[in-house]
Amino acid sequence: MRFWLLLGTAILFSICIPFMVPYYAMTIVIAALIWGLFAMSLDLLVGYTRLYSFGHVASYGLGAYSSALLILHFDIPVPITIFLATGIATLIAVPITWICTRTHGVSFAMLTLAFAQLGYAMLFRFKEFTGGSNGLPGITRPAGPFGLDFFQSKIGYYYMVLAFLIASFLICRNIVNSPFGKVLSGIRENEMKTQALGYNVRNYKWFVAIMSYMFGSLSGALFTPYAGFASPELFFWLISGTVLIMVIVGGSGTLIGPIIGGIFFILLEHELSEITQLWPLAFGTVFIMFVLFFPQGIWGIFTTISKKSKSNPSESGHAHS
Amino acid sequence: MLGAYIGYTVAIYTGSFFLALIIAPILVACFGIVFEKLLLSPLYKRQDGGAYLMVTFGLAVILAEAIKLTWGADPKGVQIPEMLRGIVIVFDFPFPKYRVFLIIIGVLMALSAWLFLEKTRIGLLIRAVSQNPQMVNALGTNVVFIRNLVFAIGCGLAGMGGVLAAPMVTAFLGMGSSVIIDAFVIVIIGGMGSFLGSIIGSLLVAFVLVFGAYYVPDLALAIIYLLMLIILIVRPGGLLGKEE
Amino acid sequence: MSFDLSNKKGLTRRKVLVGGAATMSVLAAPAYLRKATAATPIKIGIPTVITGGYAVLGSHVMRTAKLVEKMRNASGGVLGRPIEFIYKDTKGEPADCVRKCQELVERDDCRIFTGVVVSSEARAIMPKLEEWDAFFISHGNGDGRLTAEFYVDNFFRANTSAPMGARALALYLKDAEQKNFYAIGSDYAWGHSSVESFEAQITKVGKNMSGTVFAPVGNKDYSTYITKILQSGAEGCYVALQGDEGRAFYSQAQQYGLSDRVQMVTEIVSQANIRALGDDSVGLVGGSRYPFTYENEANKNFLSAFQAEYDGEIPDWTDGEMYQALDILFKAMENADSDETKKIVAAMEGLEVDSVKGKTLMRECDHQGENQGFVVRVSDMGGSEPVPEILKIYPREMITPDCRSTSYSS
Repeated sequence: MRFWLLLGTAILFSICIPFMVPYYAMTIVIAALIWGLFAMSLDLLVGYTRLYSFGHVASYGLGAYSSALLILHFDIPVPITIFLATGIATLIAVPITWICTRTHGVSFAMLTLAFAQLGYAMLFRFKEFTGGSNGLPGITRPAGPFGLDFFQSKIGYYYMVLAFLIASFLICRNIVNSPFGKVLSGIRENEMKTQALGYNVRNYKWFVAIMSYMFGSLSGALFTPYAGFASPELFFWLISGTVLIMVIVGGSGTLIGPIIGGIFFILLEHELSEITQLWPLAFGTVFIMFVLFFPQGIWGIFTTISKKSKSNPSESGHAHS
Repeated sequence: MLGAYIGYTVAIYTGSFFLALIIAPILVACFGIVFEKLLLSPLYKRQDGGAYLMVTFGLAVILAEAIKLTWGADPKGVQIPEMLRGIVIVFDFPFPKYRVFLIIIGVLMALSAWLFLEKTRIGLLIRAVSQNPQMVNALGTNVVFIRNLVFAIGCGLAGMGGVLAAPMVTAFLGMGSSVIIDAFVIVIIGGMGSFLGSIIGSLLVAFVLVFGAYYVPDLALAIIYLLMLIILIVRPGGLLGKEE
Repeated sequence: MSFDLSNKKGLTRRKVLVGGAATMSVLAAPAYLRKATAATPIKIGIPTVITGGYAVLGSHVMRTAKLVEKMRNASGGVLGRPIEFIYKDTKGEPADCVRKCQELVERDDCRIFTGVVVSSEARAIMPKLEEWDAFFISHGNGDGRLTAEFYVDNFFRANTSAPMGARALALYLKDAEQKNFYAIGSDYAWGHSSVESFEAQITKVGKNMSGTVFAPVGNKDYSTYITKILQSGAEGCYVALQGDEGRAFYSQAQQYGLSDRVQMVTEIVSQANIRALGDDSVGLVGGSRYPFTYENEANKNFLSAFQAEYDGEIPDWTDGEMYQALDILFKAMENADSDETKKIVAAMEGLEVDSVKGKTLMRECDHQGENQGFVVRVSDMGGSEPVPEILKIYPREMITPDCRSTSYSS
């Protein structure tokens, strides 16, 4: 119950954001939410099965290009486009993740990277379709469904992104708290033992990888109608590194931590680049300090503070699990 | 990248490329030692690979900006010494002397690194630390020192790579980030922790890149990843690596 | 072991959620609370590359903008108001560029943009200009299609485009001794645009193309391509590689002795590359978007002001083109007597300006600036670094493509 109360407060707060910050600020807030969702999707892999993906950008890019192409060619209402794009990207991810989850550790990381880079190369190979280095500009937010044009506005789109984020969070939370999720944690802690207990470890890993790619492509699919275009940068390997860092900075294995990590990262970078042209200096320094002094991530800071202020913390933990 | 820029500065001040080739790697190695002592060594006891990744990422961001502040955004050229200019004819085809020089240096460095790792006591200790640091520590060897040394050598070699690359591509901002991923791919293809593996890996990657660019230029971007994909599917640990 | 997970999670959900939100608002507060001050200065947005691979070009954009700001404001500004440039870092990424421009519009109420470095960034913001009621003048975006198939009303291009650069070269090479040409380009928009125009025009003047190849963006080793060019038997090689790639190619071509056998021609000769390459660049023939050695009144003024400000440094092509674009922009604003988008557009159509590159006409039909075409050769003139020596200047009517097109009917 306590959990729902807290979540409700957070949602209420998020709903109020458009009334609290100036209109222009919503642009970066939406970007931050999309990145939060993207980081959370990676946390499914990193935090719950300890599969470090170096190519998670593939899901983002696939989602982004799918929704871009759907809108450009079919002009389907935005929310439906996003569902369809996520579906298409997830279908493509099924065989890819099957191959990747045959391995683990560094091999897994590099296989995912290889697929992401192949995707990047394909963008240049099939220029007629993807626009090559030009990308695909001029993507609108088609109205509908049912004549609804709310999502076309920036604020409307914000609420849609927020809704997707909350829904995704709840779904992921259910997954990791379910018996299925316990098996995943088992795989993370001791893969051999879990296998010996009779679980088909590979299929579990495969499934969670598909889920992870699915939510990753959802965030990508949300990005293009927001930005108005898709470009090969959405497939660039550096993004995989960035999102991994968001997960770790936020606190991996917590779902909520990476969401905060993603939001934090985007806002920090944005604010610093507003204040000074030397922002990478400040950004790098803040970053290193963070890793050195707060190893558990942002989430970890709150955990520590709460442990100090609360005498009996373990009670609430079981309340909803 | 730092190596290339320091190399550029030394070459400008002393007018000697060879001096740059010696001084720059030493300076980069010193920098590596300081960095390792200050920022990385507190992380060793944490047993968390992610932390290294992030600290080095943060440092790369800072370093790139610091280089821009020190040397400016404009690219810097490093001239090849007179004796390495010109071409030699190999099978009726021109081949630059500088590339011959690179091949010789490359082979020499690889050989000496191999000898160092396989034939010296310190090399033995390095291999031991990579397999079981606790045990080596218990046996009375200073693991911290060994790690510091390895890091310094790694930085020094990378710095040397930077100086050597400068006459081919000039020194510019962002030259570092484009190299790192290739280096990673090579190590993975060869197999982590296998010295011979990375040499075979680098030859294989270079081979495939060159022939790929020649025969299927359309796929030049994708080809090394295709190679990595195939190798990892067939041998998940890389060519000569052991699967964990 | 695996179950302690839920424990940790439940603990502090509220604190995390509330705390996360707090972090957000703390971070957000400083910038968002900065209100736009009194509207006296004319704000011009420079969404350029401050960090990232194109930072060199961005740094040139900014140094010239700073110089212009100083010069203009010292002499009374524009429309009697001071000008103020707002710099934003796009990192060369279209996504960031759109976001930063959106912010310039919504937060700073700034609706005039210039200084965008990469063509794909320009391409990404162009469809949004109307919605933003914003005006955008390109100082250096080369992709020919920006004033052809991607034309929008609120966009103007002051600079020489890729097809125009290729055109000048083709006209020059018509009388050259070389018969067969090879073309190497970077595998992205500008590279393709340049190579295609070059190919179309060089064959029109009766030369042969022995082959074309596109190297991936950021390629470092050109030995394979150099071998191909040597084998093709071409006597000339057209190079459309940008910054880092171009320098790597020329250094290696020199090392292979390619430059001694094959005449290198390129679309843009850049001073930053010349300086880095040193003597390796001597002999290179190319189009020039802005040769600082061009002699006219406007350029004399610019050159002396630039060198006085920046320690005698030689302005690069980006500096010259940025200066030209701002010059044209201010002239149009003064003619329009306004800083409103619609009025600037109207005033700029058909505007002719005595720029640092000679007389430039902003033609009405597709908003492309008609510029003279320069062909230069990099020569050692005894200075501290080699400089571009102007070989030939072609009149702007011959250089500018057909209206809303990237090709030439004559």
